[in-house]
Amino acid sequence: MLRMEPWTGRLKGSLVGSGLEIRQGDIPGLIMDARAVRTSFLDFMGRPPFERELQRWSGMTRHALATALMGCEEFWQHWINEQLFYLMLIDNFRPAGEAFEQLPRELATHLLAPRDALHRLAVSASFDLRNPGADTFVTVVMEQLVGRNVQNSRGELAGGKAAYDGREARFLGKPAKNQADVVRIAIEDRAGTAHLLQREYERIVHRAPDPRELRGWVREVHREPSRLLEVMRLWYLSEPYDRRLEEPVAKPNRLFVRSLFVDLAGQVPAPDELEPLRSALDGLADSRPLRSVVARALIGSGRITLANKESISDPTIWITGRFERLLGRKPTADELEVFLEAFADESCGVDTIVYALVSGVEYQSY
Amino acid sequence: MTDPIQPSRRDFIRHAAGAGGLLVANPMLGSGLASTRFSKGKTRHIILIAFAGGVRTKETFGRESNIPQLKALADEGVLYTRVRTSNLGHFGAGLSIFTGVATQRGIRENSPGSAPTVFEYLRKGLELPAGEVWITTSGGAQQVNYASSLHPDYGPKYAATTLDGDGIFNDEFKRLIGGYGLPKEFGAGEQRVLGSLRGVLAGSSESLQSELDSAARVESYIMQELARGATDVSGSNAADIKALNLARNLLSVFRPTVVGVVLQDPDVAHRSFNGYVEVIRRNDAAVGEIVRVVREDPVLADSTAIVVLPEFGRDRDLNMRRGLDHGDDSEDLNFVTCTAWGPDFGRGRVINEDVRTIDIAPSLCQLMGVSAPQARGHKLPGLLG
Repeated sequence: MLRMEPWTGRLKGSLVGSGLEIRQGDIPGLIMDARAVRTSFLDFMGRPPFERELQRWSGMTRHALATALMGCEEFWQHWINEQLFYLMLIDNFRPAGEAFEQLPRELATHLLAPRDALHRLAVSASFDLRNPGADTFVTVVMEQLVGRNVQNSRGELAGGKAAYDGREARFLGKPAKNQADVVRIAIEDRAGTAHLLQREYERIVHRAPDPRELRGWVREVHREPSRLLEVMRLWYLSEPYDRRLEEPVAKPNRLFVRSLFVDLAGQVPAPDELEPLRSALDGLADSRPLRSVVARALIGSGRITLANKESISDPTIWITGRFERLLGRKPTADELEVFLEAFADESCGVDTIVYALVSGVEYQSY
Repeated sequence: MTDPIQPSRRDFIRHAAGAGGLLVANPMLGSGLASTRFSKGKTRHIILIAFAGGVRTKETFGRESNIPQLKALADEGVLYTRVRTSNLGHFGAGLSIFTGVATQRGIRENSPGSAPTVFEYLRKGLELPAGEVWITTSGGAQQVNYASSLHPDYGPKYAATTLDGDGIFNDEFKRLIGGYGLPKEFGAGEQRVLGSLRGVLAGSSESLQSELDSAARVESYIMQELARGATDVSGSNAADIKALNLARNLLSVFRPTVVGVVLQDPDVAHRSFNGYVEVIRRNDAAVGEIVRVVREDPVLADSTAIVVLPEFGRDRDLNMRRGLDHGDDSEDLNFVTCTAWGPDFGRGRVINEDVRTIDIAPSLCQLMGVSAPQARGHKLPGLLG
């Protein structure tokens, strides 16, 4: 068994039994088709690939993608965004300022470990505003940063609340006397590392980790917090991730909006465009109706460039290209037949076809 | 006189027919066609309002001038003065009202619960389509999880249709969509083509077609709300008011079987006691608007039950910021007041014995002739007239 060197992606050494076990790169299971490229980008960059990226990575291996992209600034920006969403530091509670804008760069250049970034978020004024009062604040710290159920940890809750109010107390077995201590102790607690790894695994691989493997990762990352990236790369190359690629999951609203903009407009939405759309979509348990409204509005906005129908000399090639671009696959024979028939109908525009694809069931998952 | 911000049923149908051409005449639109499986009582519609965000009885029925609308409702209905609740966090405690099960939920947990909600029980038991069961919320992403559970016998296929007032109708969203320009409407030919494209993408399935119809109806309603501006509300409890206004509009448009509302803004109490009291007063006034719609509607007036209660109270004493937290395990926190009003309920009755917030869901299910097998609560004593 081999392991990957954190920043270079080179494979070396052995960590058998720690859970840090991977397969070598150039085996058929790790070669990506268009859908695997699309899913990988959505999982790690929070957006689908641009056209040029799709062309570049189709047929390449996951190992190559892991080496090239995981750990870059955009990767960490997405990671931060996901942490903010997890902590519900969104909308008016999203932290602002240089200290937060620099986080992805500091992570990408190894000035900061992911755990330190999480700490910076949790000591922010936004986190305090989002979780007002001793009871709420300490409860959230215990639940979200440590994974502890406060109903079963009344003593810890009381200790944390006392420290929050400025009194000397013990929290998670350590002395604490203020709000900052509560956060720091939670972040540095081994259970905090375990909780972070568990939820990150579930976010990326979309299933629960094997408990034995989880213990191994916790041991490694708790000792050296910067190794989280290394562990994430190993998850990406693992067999459970093979299964994740075979079993699409529902696309969260934030990924839907980013997908729509990248796929149709060829650009990532600006935060002041993404957040209101995401927030609106999150207001529906079943957001499909509103997703359709957003897609219709964007297609009709004049911001996207669609081919002129008359200029399309081979509809089969054009339709197949739209399927590959938007769904990461070729159309089936039945689909191609129906789409070609529709294309020939004078009441069908190219925007009708694009709208059908992005408002269809398949585009809602990845 | 027609309320300028309330759509008429005719307006809705006209708009729906033209909204992208996705909605065709739907046999399930409106009330009276949904189900014939009701109980023998008079109640055909339920409005369940979680007057949530942590509200003590001291500031409601302990000072009735704050809540004239609820007081009037209680005078004509049943008032439970000691409703036991648990400090399970806003989400967990709120969810327990709808499920009849008190389960600890993470304060920021963002996933459905395991116990079925009253919406799922009623949709399954009465065979109601999605358009008959709604929930409007004010608390953002987390509150959409009130719509349904993860229970294998119930779950999303019996979910309430959810609208979060502050999400869908936030100003920035409306401005953005307005900036893109209103989505074009599809002509008949394009609509037919679109149907065939979507059909082949989805595979043929009757249940899927029904889902698409339901989605189109919601899409149409959203478009209308966006255009109308009924949710242009600002102020410290704008989110709650939007949720209550949406519920009011839904009642007047659809007359649905079930409308749930979940509020949140009284939680401003952590920092401002006065702000908290003001939110209670405004929310009471907005609840009064819902009651007015019900009273003035010839169908709803004699067939609608309204139940209002907070998810929990607040601490007995002010915190250091002269606000009120919720974590002291006092009676102010653990007991709230519940108002129940409806054609099958007692009138002018005050029940002082202890009941629980988890008794609400099974009692409402029983009222409608549906069982709630997973609920842990019991039938509310003295509820029926």
